[in-house]
Amino acid sequence: MRALCWNGVNDLRVERVPDPTILGPRDAIVKVGLSSVCGSDLHLIGGYVPTMRAGDIIGHEFLGEVVEKGPEVTRLNRGDRVITVSIIGCGKCWHCRHEEFSLCDNSNPQPAFEEMAYGHCTAGIFGYSHAFGGYAGSHAEYIRVPFADTNCFRVPEGVTDEQAVFVSDAVPTGYMAADMGGIKPGDVVAVWGCGGVGQMAMRSASLMGAERVIGIDRFPDRLRAAQMKAGAETLDYSRVDIYDALLAMTGGRGPDVCIDAVGMEADSGASALEDWYDRGKQALRLESDRPAVLRQMIQCCRKGGTLSIVGVYGGFIDKFPMGAAMNKALTFRMGQQHGQRYVKRLFEHIGKGELDPSYLLTHKWALDDAPQGYRMFKEKADDCMRVVFAP
Amino acid sequence: MTGSRDGRRRMGGRRMEGSAGALERWAAILGGTALGYAGARRGSWALAALGGGLFLAGAAGVPLSSPLRQAALPALRREPATTQANVTVAVPADRLFRHWRNVRHLAALFPHLDAVEVLSDTESRWKAHGPGGVPVVWTSRLDKLRENELITWHTLEGADLPHRGTVLFRPAPGGRGTEVSLTLAYHPPGGEGGHAVSRLFGMAPEQQAREALRRLKRIMEVGELPTIDGQPSGRAERSRALPSMQEVTG
Repeated sequence: MRALCWNGVNDLRVERVPDPTILGPRDAIVKVGLSSVCGSDLHLIGGYVPTMRAGDIIGHEFLGEVVEKGPEVTRLNRGDRVITVSIIGCGKCWHCRHEEFSLCDNSNPQPAFEEMAYGHCTAGIFGYSHAFGGYAGSHAEYIRVPFADTNCFRVPEGVTDEQAVFVSDAVPTGYMAADMGGIKPGDVVAVWGCGGVGQMAMRSASLMGAERVIGIDRFPDRLRAAQMKAGAETLDYSRVDIYDALLAMTGGRGPDVCIDAVGMEADSGASALEDWYDRGKQALRLESDRPAVLRQMIQCCRKGGTLSIVGVYGGFIDKFPMGAAMNKALTFRMGQQHGQRYVKRLFEHIGKGELDPSYLLTHKWALDDAPQGYRMFKEKADDCMRVVFAP
Repeated sequence: MTGSRDGRRRMGGRRMEGSAGALERWAAILGGTALGYAGARRGSWALAALGGGLFLAGAAGVPLSSPLRQAALPALRREPATTQANVTVAVPADRLFRHWRNVRHLAALFPHLDAVEVLSDTESRWKAHGPGGVPVVWTSRLDKLRENELITWHTLEGADLPHRGTVLFRPAPGGRGTEVSLTLAYHPPGGEGGHAVSRLFGMAPEQQAREALRRLKRIMEVGELPTIDGQPSGRAERSRALPSMQEVTG
């Protein structure tokens, strides 16, 4: 089959690789119909995640058809149209039983890296480096899904492929960000980053009863989409001071819930000095992640408010304003998505027309064009929100 | 000595070497970051530079451990003879006890173990392999057995790898299952402790104990050992690059 392989920093190529086979009794093989790029892939492609190996197949947000299943797969049948949650749960460990699928004890076959770096290992993720299990990704004609009964979900009638594919990752990640915020009536929610995940967080916050939702970015097309599609008010951080603007919009209180949908490659538009400092330290490998969004959220958040972090971080950050966080009694919630917990609810929202993620798909391209697709996505050219490959 | 080192490399194969290399890089990157940070905080440029260098070596994949190992003092190479690992398994203690009690099951837990042969109610013969397939054989005798709580054993005279072992099962709080703790004390001739184990198996004793408990947990909870062995990648021999778009269109 054809697959998109990572061969080194900024070196992606579509190659011929062997077809996947069933390796465990609970595996299924899915014929990929749609497979989306994700902002978190850019950290891999740019070399910020140290356990990639040349030849790894990337991609983790996909929809397809079950074509083969292992003897212990009971809930799925050949021909089922399914989405697969990008983070793999075994379905049996204590964390999976408590719906904390991204903390699965068992799905990462290469736990040593994380155990050393993080103290414990977390779940395996499709196409997301060997620290997270080294599972082959979905930018391919076929993909093997371990523990298929836990991780694959049939797409209900009436939900289109273009809506469903994002229920793999972008929608549940955004939904979980809002969920972790513990939104109460009257709350003002600010979301840093108007990419796919950020916009899903904005829409979810409204569904959960937020009074006002504010999206922050600098790309005009994304700000427009956040306004038109996700129903948010927007701030362009390259033009306004975010602290001043947020306080002006909230009677000086600050947002009740601040959501980070950016992660480790944040830039700090307004403060050139801060940006140079973090980029310099990152380039010298003295810090691995740039925490500009975190610092700003801590500064802006209402006293006693909640920070919900779904943007991806990998290692260390520097100059973390712990004093402000502690004295303002902020609550921090964070994590990779527990998508399996939300899929059913999300399909219900989509079915009722309350949520429609399909507009995130701005470009549908052939798999063979994937390297160019990632370039466009990275440069945010042609108003690209998400490129989705159809193998 | 040289022979066994070469042998280990052969036995380790690509996967072992790959993961060890990546581990080392990860360690260098994170360690380098921490050192660099400490250096910068204390205004110690030497420390910061060392940290930065380590990070860059890690990022660039420069091998560090073999030259370091050669340069290290002999004292630093000595590893403890007793090792312990702990894990919580989400199944009741009686199931774990029964599983462990059937020594044939244990071959699947230790990476270098080939077979366990039952000799009697209390004795079993274990066959493992070291680097290059060198056989490592011992006979093990049960000492204590407390139903659903504890199993201890020791090796008999003439063992290639003399050791004592204890596995403890106790209920975890809040319905989390069972806390399992495995202690292995090695007594190789010459008193080299854990280092002898590392040399025999190319894997530190604490790694072996932790891996054994991880496998136990995965077998008991999931019924299989999750794997990526055999999945496709661009590294497979029959994979080859397709012509890029520029080549096709231009």
